[in-house]
Amino acid sequence: MNAPVTITQAEKPYLVIRSVTKRFGSFTALQDIDLDIHKGEFISFLGPSGCGKTTLLRAISGLDVQTTGSIHQDGRDISNLPVNERDFGIVFQSYALFPNLKIKDNVGYGLVSAGKSRKEIAERVSELLGMVGLADQADKYPAQLSGGQQQRISLARALALSPGLLLLDEPLSALDARVRARLRGEIRDLQRRLGITTVMVTHDQEEALTMSDRIVVMSKGRIEQIGTPDEVYGKPASPFVADFVGRMNFIEGKLVDAASADCRGAVLKLDSALTYAPGTPVTICLRPEDVVVRDTSGAANAFDVDVGVMEFMGNHFSTTLHVLGSNLNISADLSMNDVRDLGIKPGVRAKAVLPAERLRVFATAA
Amino acid sequence: MTSVTSNQLDAAAAEAARGRPVRQRMSRDDLLMRIMLVLLTLWLVGTVLLPLGALLRKSVEGPAGEFVGLANFVQYFSNPALTASIANSIWIASISTVICVLLSFAFAYGLTRTCMPGRSVFKLVSQIPLLAPSLLPAISLVYLFGNQGIAKDVLLGASIYGPIGIVIGEVFWTFPHALIIMTTALATADARLYEAAAALKASNWRTFWTVTVPGARYGLISATFVVFTLVITDFGVPKVIGGQYNVLATDIYKQVIGQQNFRMGAVVGLLLLLPAVLSFAVDQYVQRRQSAALSARAVPYEPKPDRAIDTFAFIACGLIAAAVLIVIGMAFFASLATLWPYNLTPSLKNYDFDNMDGGGWQSFYNSLKMAGMTAVVGTALVFMGAYLVEKTKGFHTGRFIFQLLALLPLAVPGIVLGLGYIFFFNAPSNPASFIYGTMAILVLCTVAHFYSVAHLTAVTALKQLDQEIETVSASLRVPFFRTFLLVTLPVCLPAVLDIAMYLFVNALTTVSAVVFLYAPETTLASIAVLNMDDAGDVAPAAAMAMTIFFAATLVRVLYILLTRSVLGRTQAWRRR
Repeated sequence: MNAPVTITQAEKPYLVIRSVTKRFGSFTALQDIDLDIHKGEFISFLGPSGCGKTTLLRAISGLDVQTTGSIHQDGRDISNLPVNERDFGIVFQSYALFPNLKIKDNVGYGLVSAGKSRKEIAERVSELLGMVGLADQADKYPAQLSGGQQQRISLARALALSPGLLLLDEPLSALDARVRARLRGEIRDLQRRLGITTVMVTHDQEEALTMSDRIVVMSKGRIEQIGTPDEVYGKPASPFVADFVGRMNFIEGKLVDAASADCRGAVLKLDSALTYAPGTPVTICLRPEDVVVRDTSGAANAFDVDVGVMEFMGNHFSTTLHVLGSNLNISADLSMNDVRDLGIKPGVRAKAVLPAERLRVFATAA
Repeated sequence: MTSVTSNQLDAAAAEAARGRPVRQRMSRDDLLMRIMLVLLTLWLVGTVLLPLGALLRKSVEGPAGEFVGLANFVQYFSNPALTASIANSIWIASISTVICVLLSFAFAYGLTRTCMPGRSVFKLVSQIPLLAPSLLPAISLVYLFGNQGIAKDVLLGASIYGPIGIVIGEVFWTFPHALIIMTTALATADARLYEAAAALKASNWRTFWTVTVPGARYGLISATFVVFTLVITDFGVPKVIGGQYNVLATDIYKQVIGQQNFRMGAVVGLLLLLPAVLSFAVDQYVQRRQSAALSARAVPYEPKPDRAIDTFAFIACGLIAAAVLIVIGMAFFASLATLWPYNLTPSLKNYDFDNMDGGGWQSFYNSLKMAGMTAVVGTALVFMGAYLVEKTKGFHTGRFIFQLLALLPLAVPGIVLGLGYIFFFNAPSNPASFIYGTMAILVLCTVAHFYSVAHLTAVTALKQLDQEIETVSASLRVPFFRTFLLVTLPVCLPAVLDIAMYLFVNALTTVSAVVFLYAPETTLASIAVLNMDDAGDVAPAAAMAMTIFFAATLVRVLYILLTRSVLGRTQAWRRR
């Protein structure tokens, strides 16, 4: 082949998804999805229900193949392979453990069919159970374990055949908050240790932000943004991402010039280089926690504000600030320290900065 | 592959993929499951659809097998002696339905909504009629209110032979069927509605009419149609106690067995399909609504003791239970009497079947054999079919057709199915006609007759299993039959045993479907009851009916003991 550059195995994406479209009758669940996933990456598909994230996972697993488009795994075209000829382990929200088999038989289920000897199976099972910290539960039945334990067993079972790809379908959604938080860390650690390429479907942004190397934010069958958790949170690529991930002020305004916008009577300086003509309606996004109330002197976008009702959230206060001389109201999260040191109370007047480098500006969709 | 650039790969993949629809390759598992499902579909076609088709065809044929259009129907409707049966059937079925639904509602209310004592005993007694052929209550009524009946005077000169006897017998026989539906409907109530009604200071009476009855309305509708269909298609009760009062079901029997007029039998058979199909449609509709009416957030209703209501319910249920016991007890007593009503000394003379017409004890053994085979063959087929229709991937049309065929028997009265079997399997052109007159055709017909309820039981059990179990197995590259044997079947074992039990008891007590299909060597106990009663040997008929009853009871008790120990050993995983 007449290849100009020979690329190494490490640079070649492990999972290559090209133009994948899935239609159910006249409804399009996935529209022309392109995505590269690299070896050892932890990728989350994040989005509201009906956005197509589960459909994409089912296409990758072969449970519901795409209508058109291709999927390559490790250089092999798997687009039309049946489930049992693909190479993945899967964990479901419902655990899907075999209820009548003991834990060790659940974990060893695939090993038996793979033709392993009794001794090999026993060794591998105890290794896997040790890996998920449940070595002492081998002889119990699934119903005797807690939800978190069952999900760990289901993970061990999925990893038994050392698959090249691990698929997690909302793995933590059925668990209560505390267990969920702990299992998040455990799954992430295990994934790093094994270096297994992992795709997780979730509607929980916190889960996606804490666990993933990269997040694929989806909406209405399309990819809205692919990026690291930091990028997705700090630099949302669209108002949808800005709204879906974390809380956000959406400020409507009109461009005065390339670097400032009039928002309901308050003029905000912008950091982004904009190419829109003056007068273009824009939406400006600002995270509530990015509002600054300390050391405001000399900063751009500093305003006198009236403090509205303050809601105590435990580790911070959530409040609304009214920008004096305008019709602009901004939601702000103020740290306990700031509130205490600056004596901020409902009804008092204060100074607040809306930092220009924190503002994300989008042209308002017509 | 290592020398391919990512750009080239991208370009090639994108070009090849765009627009071209992806068809998933079938795995060997998928192929195998589809083949098996198709085979089972063909089996249902052969044992349900084609016999019905043969019946339909027969109804538009002349004496020489030529097509005569609707001539047979014209002939039928121009004969007032025959059409009178339509009115009779509808009248009988309506009266029986009203009485049976009211009684079963009251009984179910007592069982589910009160704290009356002895509820478990009442429940047990109410199931008794299921263990006997419908001929048994009719025979019992002859002894109670017949010409030589012990309580003849209660009727004030009216005759039990006719509508009165049929209605009482039918109510007895259909009571447990209606009760199952009513208890299900009444058992699933949301306690919060009652608490809300109480908080709003509604009287008990008002709460009953505004909460209880509306909550059970789908059950009432469903029970109404089920009972109506059972009665209008039953032939055992009117055969024994109907006297000169003709109904559709006995007309078929008379046309076919008495006059060998198969074409007229086919016409009446098609008429009988109408109420059954209607009932089937209503039941399907109601079941969809009923499941939607129940929310997962409902708090189950727990009855609280109430002296007045509990006492009243106890008396009402006690009377009903007593009636059931009297009917069974009467038949038993009569079967033991040496010569009714003159010599009441107990003896087993009437159980000496070998010296009577009707096939003797052999017919009883035949029944056991037939029921056993039906249970084994039927359970295997039903469970396999339910598994395949639930778990086969894709193949929507095939699965839809199978599902339709599996539910079809629910809409076909046994006597109509049996008639269809004559036409289909007795045709010389049918390569399977050699099974005509053998035990095999009885088993085939009985499995088909009771297929739907068994199928629904299996599907319900399978649906309770996590749907992703098969996915996980496939991702672990385990063949489907291994997961079927190791997980699905063991987990569904209680349902499998229930299905086997259901098929066994029904095969033992059924008369309608098999009455046209038995041969001298394959007479069945329930047929023997019919024939002995026909020949005037009423006491031996009662004895044979009781023998069936005891056999069914014994098997049920054994089944309970057996399942307790088997399930205790194999279902340890259910305990927490």
